[in-house]
Order: sequence, then structure tokens, then C-alpha cells
Amino acid sequence: MSTAAPAYSAAEEQGLTIEEQQPAGLRQLVFDHPRILIGLLLLLVLVLVALLAPWISPHNPLSVNPDDARLPPGPGHVMGTDELGRDVLSRVMWGGRISLPVAFVAVGVGLTVGALIGLTAGYRAGVTDLLLMRLVDAILAFPALILAIALVAALGPSLRNAMIAIGIVQIPVYARLTRAQVFQLKALDFVTAARALGASPVWIIVRHMLPNLLNPLIVQVSLSAAFAMLAEATLSFLGLSAPPPTPDWGFMINTGQSFLINGNWWMTVGPGAAICVAVFGFNWLGDALRDALDPRLRR
Amino acid sequence: MRRAGILLLFALILSACGGGGGGTSTAPAGTPKTGGTLKIAQETEINTLDPNTSGLLVEREIYYNLYDSLLGIDAKLNFIPELATAWKYTDDKTLVLSLRKDVKFQDGTGFNADAVKFNLDRYMTSTDPAAARKSDLASVQSVEVQDPATVVIHLKRADATLLAAFVDRAGMMLSPTAVQQLGIKVAQTPLQAGSGPFEFVEWKRDDHLTLKRNPDYWRKDKAGRQLPYLDQLIYRPLIDLNAILASLKTADVDMARTVAGKDVEAVRSDSTLVYKDTPGLGYQGFELNVSAPPFNDPAKTKAVALAVDRAQILKNVVFNNGVLSYGPIPPASWAADPSEKIYDKPDPEKAKATATGFSFTLKTANTQDSIQTGQLIQAQLAKAGITVNLLPEDFAKLTLETRVQHQFDAALTGWSGRIDPDGNMFAFWHTGGSFNDGRYSKPQVDQLLEQARTTTDQAKRKQIYQEAQRIIVGDGVYVFTHHLNVAQISTKKVQNFMLIPDGINRLAEVWKS
Amino acid sequence: MLEYITRRLGLMVPTAFLVTVAVFLLIHLTPGDPATVILAESYTPEAGAQIHKDLGLDKPLPEQYLLYVGRLFHGDLGRSVRNKLPVTQAIGERLSATLELGFAALIWSLLIAIPLGTVAALRRGRALDVVASGLTVAGISVPNFVLGILLILFFGLLLRVLPVGGFVALGESVPDNLSRLIMPALALGTFGTASNMRFTRSSMIEVLNQDYIRTARAKGAGWWQVVNRHALKNALIPVVTIVGLQVGAILEGALVTETVFGWPGVGKLAVESIFSKDFPVVQGIVLLSALSFMFANLLVDLVYAWLDPRISYS
Repeated sequence: MSTAAPAYSAAEEQGLTIEEQQPAGLRQLVFDHPRILIGLLLLLVLVLVALLAPWISPHNPLSVNPDDARLPPGPGHVMGTDELGRDVLSRVMWGGRISLPVAFVAVGVGLTVGALIGLTAGYRAGVTDLLLMRLVDAILAFPALILAIALVAALGPSLRNAMIAIGIVQIPVYARLTRAQVFQLKALDFVTAARALGASPVWIIVRHMLPNLLNPLIVQVSLSAAFAMLAEATLSFLGLSAPPPTPDWGFMINTGQSFLINGNWWMTVGPGAAICVAVFGFNWLGDALRDALDPRLRR
Repeated sequence: MRRAGILLLFALILSACGGGGGGTSTAPAGTPKTGGTLKIAQETEINTLDPNTSGLLVEREIYYNLYDSLLGIDAKLNFIPELATAWKYTDDKTLVLSLRKDVKFQDGTGFNADAVKFNLDRYMTSTDPAAARKSDLASVQSVEVQDPATVVIHLKRADATLLAAFVDRAGMMLSPTAVQQLGIKVAQTPLQAGSGPFEFVEWKRDDHLTLKRNPDYWRKDKAGRQLPYLDQLIYRPLIDLNAILASLKTADVDMARTVAGKDVEAVRSDSTLVYKDTPGLGYQGFELNVSAPPFNDPAKTKAVALAVDRAQILKNVVFNNGVLSYGPIPPASWAADPSEKIYDKPDPEKAKATATGFSFTLKTANTQDSIQTGQLIQAQLAKAGITVNLLPEDFAKLTLETRVQHQFDAALTGWSGRIDPDGNMFAFWHTGGSFNDGRYSKPQVDQLLEQARTTTDQAKRKQIYQEAQRIIVGDGVYVFTHHLNVAQISTKKVQNFMLIPDGINRLAEVWKS
Repeated sequence: MLEYITRRLGLMVPTAFLVTVAVFLLIHLTPGDPATVILAESYTPEAGAQIHKDLGLDKPLPEQYLLYVGRLFHGDLGRSVRNKLPVTQAIGERLSATLELGFAALIWSLLIAIPLGTVAALRRGRALDVVASGLTVAGISVPNFVLGILLILFFGLLLRVLPVGGFVALGESVPDNLSRLIMPALALGTFGTASNMRFTRSSMIEVLNQDYIRTARAKGAGWWQVVNRHALKNALIPVVTIVGLQVGAILEGALVTETVFGWPGVGKLAVESIFSKDFPVVQGIVLLSALSFMFANLLVDLVYAWLDPRISYS
């Protein structure tokens, strides 16, 4: 089922309900909505583990010990070992260094390119808008995961191509978001006045759009990161991401799957749990932020 | 490991007492029962039922039960009569085949020399772009019908490998009437086109292929009973090795040729299943591209060959369901010499001294075992200061880059093996050979391989192949790691199956209790 | 309204065109030679060149594209390079399995999502709601292949109550088919269940805040009555549109789920074809999935437009 469901429906896209908002102070936000704290903490732990993995992982994730292959969890190997005798816990920890950057870069790519397209389309309007939006529609026409898989399969399996593919899939959401904002702003009198006085469009955008855009953007980024992690896990499960022996959660699950019948459950449960926790963290945070920042859902 | 050894010993003793070849077989539990359906699992779906364009092992499995070949083999890989009752070289370039007179194809057409000519001509002159039997019959000049039961084959040059070709697809005989009637449909629905123990019923792709008993089959068993015993064969492409194992356990299928190495132990100790294996005809390892850097430097190829730990791969990936390999000649072959052991134990120190501090990319197939092996090799060579980058690719891409474009450093590809040692060597290491991915070229090797083709003295051929093997292995153009066993797994109800090193399930004399 | 429909349909045309170009380029720029797949071990450069000629792969790219589009208009998606079957037939053979799986996933997801979402809306802010919300976030966070593997582990291998993998046609044996359907349907449907639950909940909350509901309550109607008679219908209409999107995207989730369970549907065919460089089949599947997704999106937007008179789409 589609995992790239945009945060806002067609109604919001038309800018019907976005009001001029002050971006809330972070401390106030968290105070009013403690759920945000949970999400932030979860993600912080994840990021820290990934960052500090070279120091805190009990073993070298790449060191092959065929004589210790497929050991169950126990002293020395808290999550057991895989088919080549490598420590699963260490590989799970190091796996974050693959998945998290992919998520961030992919979302970054989608955000930057999407915002650029949205701004251009919104500002120039007319034919440019028509053409650019058809391009965006063409991307949206594909179910997100299918497009990502097809792209990576075409470009060749690698981490870089996975980032690019997932990034491309994210473009439409950000393009639409920014475009809607620009249209709304353009209608306002003071913008017309500023333009008549010769103010540069960039200045107008930065000065007025960004504060309005910040809230929905934050929510969307969090949710996009969740999707990006899911997509990367699926791609690497299909062998379309980083090549072995890189510790990549999805690929570890793929390999581990064939050993389930032999009772070696730890090879899949370890990385599986990691993926779920990471995606959950981003989704939870995005949800909590949306609850906090979206005026419509305020009680 | 010990248990496997004891089992093997037991099987050998049993087979020695039981008569027949050196293959393992179940002692028949009483008189064969006729009737019943045998369900066989395969690990990939087939593409065609026409031997002319076939390229897959799973297809050959089916063909041996659908079609007869001119010659057959026994468990020791000696030729036995099948559609041809006798064969003789009247001179180097003339082969005379005497044919059986009592064989009818499933559509009623009589089998005779005209049919043989029709089939051989068809394989040799086929215009189908996927025609694959031409190279098998490359030495044949013409096929002459002397009388309805005698065929004379005129050769362009002496060819000691031709008889082996006649055991497999190039020697499979289809009814000329059926082929002409069916046209291209013979690849999908070869109704009554063969003369084998079973005939085609239906094929639902990715689901099942059904064959039923041929009531007019010409062979009878030792007691004079009509073969085959079984009523029906159903082949199912289950693809996933785990699914195959699961189906065997629930008796959803009765027989399969492979399970994953990691499951062999469990299968052996499963009382509802029977596991048999015997060393196969193929070999496994990885090839080096000696026509380009880094491996155009002989020191580097030697360093790699020295650093690889074959026993570790055999144990960790294959779970010891095979034997260490010292060259392309399989242990089951008459040309094998068990005393020849080049690169027996890994020696990372010596490797380091020979050449170190370089890196290369090892391309592997996308399968789990290949990737696991690749990672092991990576770790092993790291001990000698050699860096390996792994690149798993799908098989089609791998074949393209190695076979066609010759653009690779090293590639982890094995070979399923052929009956004659020539089939394991000529196309790979003769200059310009169609499988010579690394563009290896040594006049000495060329000479030896050509000589072995034209000599019919088996002892002499063994000597020649041993010498060629020594050079090829020494040069390190291919790093041989192990020979896989061929296996046969079936439920306890399957009786009288004989496992031959080519691993094909011949089911004419199998029955189900 | 009519104007909106015509405009949307009109916009779909260039988008569809772009989609075919994208699909065509995607597949043809993939390195890999279908000739090696067809010929396998018997490959020679000459035979390969002949196959290229037969498949029209030696022509310039734009020409190939035009031929491709021309064939599309005749409903010809080409032939699989692996087994020469027409792509439409290859997909058609597998379609019923995927549809069965998707349908089962959808049914179970709605059966759970709607009641749960309604209850969560009614008990908003209380313990049940919080727990349910947590579960739904978890539901959309577990990749369906991970869930699938966990189900296999638990029900298939540990408890041994369900057969693992494989497929038995409904025509052959209904119980065998259904017992193999349970786990993949669960894996596939969980994401949809969670989504639908959240959407039902938020939609129901909105509806329950409406004046006419308050009036009914003021008149003394119990919550249950109110929900059944008034709220549910109106709350569910937007949910139906989301479901429409899920149906359109059925292939997406099916891809990995079918691979994990060995379920012989279009998703598994897609993965197999991608890995064996079977260009025409991948092209056909991606194209069909994009077109059906586009169509589903269009329907959803139309329903939205019809529903919400506030939105002017001029």
C-alpha cells in the first residue's frame, strides 16, 4: 500500500486553511505536546548509536569468523552471529550509519529539488507552471515504491542510486507544498505592492513564505524520513542498495530469511526491530508535530 | 561430518553388494508396484521443451524422461546402449551406429535411421537464434542413412567427445512427423513427440508440468515387466530452496534434486526422507581475467590462488556437501587422479610474498551462496593484503560482462559439468573458446586439448588431460574451490532410484510404494 | 464540475505520455542484455546479435519508442524475453493471485480499521485512543516484508499452525488456498489497516463535531445510535476515497509480500523480471501499475470534488 501519502489533501493544497502562523518556540511546543519529546528522544538514541557505533559496537561488523557461524544470542554475542560468524548487534548498530544518512539525503534531495520546482512553477505560473506540474504528476503517477525500485534497478544497485531514487520519489510532495504557498502569497496585496516597488522576488519569498511554510514542512520532513527509511529497507531487502559486506538492515533480513527454517531467528529479528524502531520514531514525531502545529486539529 | 562419512561408507558397501554401478541406490523393497503419481520439485521454471534450444539443467531433467537419446550412461559414466545398440569407429572420421528396431515414437511413427538423420540435421542446421546444439555437433560433416537400422556419421575431424554428446540433448530423438506437424509449438506442447518412458500431457507455466506413462515404451525391466512403473509425473517449479524442503517434509512433493547446504544435515536425520549424494561432474570457483590488469600479472593470480582457503568455503557455505577441487576434472571422471593436489592448503604468507597490496572487483551472482562465498574470499584475501570489492549482479548481466564483453577482474561462476572432461575444459581454456571469458591463451594447452579430442585411447587421454589441468591450475586462470555433490532427496515411498553423477532424475525404473 | 472532470482528463494525457516515456527510458537504459537471458549457457555473440535483430533492439532509441507506443495502442505489450509469452498473457495469468491477495488484505483491513477508528474517535483522548494511536503508528512503521517474516517465524515455524509459502488455486482446494492466504494478507493489509484506522478516526471526529450530531445527541440519542444512523455514513465517504488509492497502489505492497511468501502474483513476477532483465514484462507491469494508480487518483479527486463544495477547482 502506498507509503508516500502526502501530509495534506487536495484541500490544503489550495491554501484554503493555511493561516499566517508564528512558528512556535520549541520549548513551548514540547511542553504542550509531550508526545513530541518521545519521538525526539527515540530518534536521538538512534542517531547517537549510529554516530558512536565505531566506538560502542562490541565487535567489528565486518570481521568474518566462519567457525562461529550462526550462534544464538548469548555471552559474547548479545544478538548472536550471522552466517559468516559476524556479530549481529554490531552490524545492526553500524547499519544505522547506512540507513539514516540515506533517509536524510533522500529527503534533502526531494526537498531541495521539489521546493525549487514548486517555487519556479508558482512564481512564473503560466506555461512553466503547466509543464513543471505535469512532470510532477508524472512522478506521482507511479506508486512510490515501484518507481524507486525501477529507478534503482535501471541505474544499478548502489547506496548512491538508492538515495537518488528515493529522493526523486519525494519531489512531488514538496513541489506541491511550496507551489501552493507561492500562489497564496502572490494574491496578497502587499506582495504585489512590493513587486511594483521593485523588491526582488527572492527577498519576498524568504521574508514571507518561509515562516508559513515552516510548520507543514517540518511535519512533512519527518514523515518523508519515515518513508525514506522504509523504502531503503525494501530496496536493500531486494538487494538493490549497498553491496555486501556492508551491514544494511534490509539485506541482513533477506539473508537471514533463509535461515529461519533452521531456527536462526536472531538474524532477522535484530535488523527487523531496528528498522521498525527507526521508522516508528520518525512517524511518531511527524504525527506529534502535526497534532501540535496543525490548527485544524487543535481542540 | 562423521555421520556423513559413515553414511557414505554404508552406501558404498550396499552398492558394492547390490551389483550395478558405483552409484548409490536403494535396495528395492520387494516387487515394484505399478501406478501412482510422482511429484518432483525443481528450483527454476523451464523455458522450453525442445532440446534444440534448451540451455537449462532443469530442462535436461525432464527431457531424459520424455525423449530417448542415442546413448545412455551408467553410474560409472560408461556408455550403454539406448536407441543405438552398438557403435563403432570404422576409422577416425567415420562412426557407425546400429539402431534398435523395436522402438516407436509416442505418436506411432517408427524409429529408424531416417529419424536419426532428421533430428541430427535439425540440430545442426537450425535457424532458430537460440539453437544450442550446433557446437555439440560441430565435428559432424554429414549423416548418412545406410539402412533403416544403420546410420553412418561422417566427421570433419576425429572427435572423441561425440559419443558423450549423443548421451545428452544433441542425441535426443524426436518424432519427425510430430516435429513437422507441431512446428514452433514443439517447444511448448511436444505432444507425443518423444519415444521415452513418459509422454507430454500439459504444461502450465510456473505451476506444473505433467507427463503420463507411455504405454508403448520399448524397455522392460530385468523381470520382463513393462516400464515405466509410474502412471504420472508432475514437475513443479518451487524456486525457493526452503519451499522445496518444506514441500518434501509435508510430502507435497516426492522428490527434489537440491536443498540448501545448510539443511542437508536436518534432511539426513529426518526419518521421513531419504538423502543420497555422490560427487558431481561440475566444479565451483572463480575465474580471473588474465587479459587485463591486475591479473595479466601471473604473480597476482598465483597470490590469489595461494591465499584462498578452499576448505573454509566448503565447510561454511557448502556444509561439506562436496569435495575440495584441484582442477576441472571431477572426481567421478575416469580422467581424475586423486593424487594431484595443487594449492591444497591456504598460505597467506606465501601469497603476500608473491604479490600483495592490490585490489580487484569480484563479481558474483545474486544468490545467497554466491554472496556468502564472495564475502569469505574477501576476508581470506585480506589476510594476504589483497583487497576484494564485491559486486553481486544478476546472472544475465554477469554473463554479458564476462562472456561477451570480457570486462571483469574476477567472477564467481561455476560449471555444472559434462560427462567427458573435454566438456569441462575445451571451451573454457582453449584460445578463443566460447566460454573462455578471461581470454586465456597458451599454445601448449591448446595443443593438449586438441590432441585429447582426437585420441580415442582413454588412458592416453587421461594423461593429456592431467597435464593440461596442471598447467591451467598452475597459471591460476581459474581458482578451483570445490566440486559439489549431486543429490537426490525423496520421501521414503520412492523406490529404486539410482543416482548418477550427472544428477539427472531418470524415472523409468522408479516406483512408489 | 464537468469542467473540472474534462480538465483533469485532459491533463492526464500529457502525464500519461510522460509516463510511457519514463517507463520506456527506464527499462532501455538499464544495462544488461536480454539475449544472455534467452540463450543462457549457449550464448554466442552471433546468436545474441540475431536476437537483438528479432527484438528490434538494434534500431535507434526514438524509433523503438514510437514502435512501442504504436503497439501500446493495439494493446500489445510485447513478449517476455524469458519464455516468449505475450506480456499481457504473462500478467493476466498472475493477476488473479494478486487480486485475491489484495482483496483479502483490504477486507481484513477494513474490518479492523473502521470499528477501531470509530471507537477511538468516540473515546478520544482516553486510554483506548492513545493505545490505538500508538498501534497505528506502529502499523505504518513495520515494513510489510519484516511483518511477513515475523508471521512466518511465529505461525509457520514456531507454532506450526499455518503452511509456509506456496500457493494452491481456489479451484483446487479452498481450505489449502485460504490457509496459505492468511499470513500474506495480514502482512500486506497491516499498513492499510493502520492508515485507514487513522483516517476513519479523524474523519469521524470531524463528523461528530458537526451540528446535526449535536442536535441528535441533545434530542437524547445514544452514541451508538448516532454513530450507526448518521455519523458512520458520512465519515466513511472520505475513507472510501483513501481505500480507492490503496487499491490503485495494490502492486506496490504486493511486490515484496509476494516475494517473501512465494505467492505467484504480479508482484513476484515483477521482481523476477527485474532481476532477469526481462524488459518487456517489467515495462508492462510498471506501465499498468502507473496507469491504474493514476486512474485511482483521478477517481479519488473526483469524489473529493463532489463531496466538498467548498473547493472550487476552476
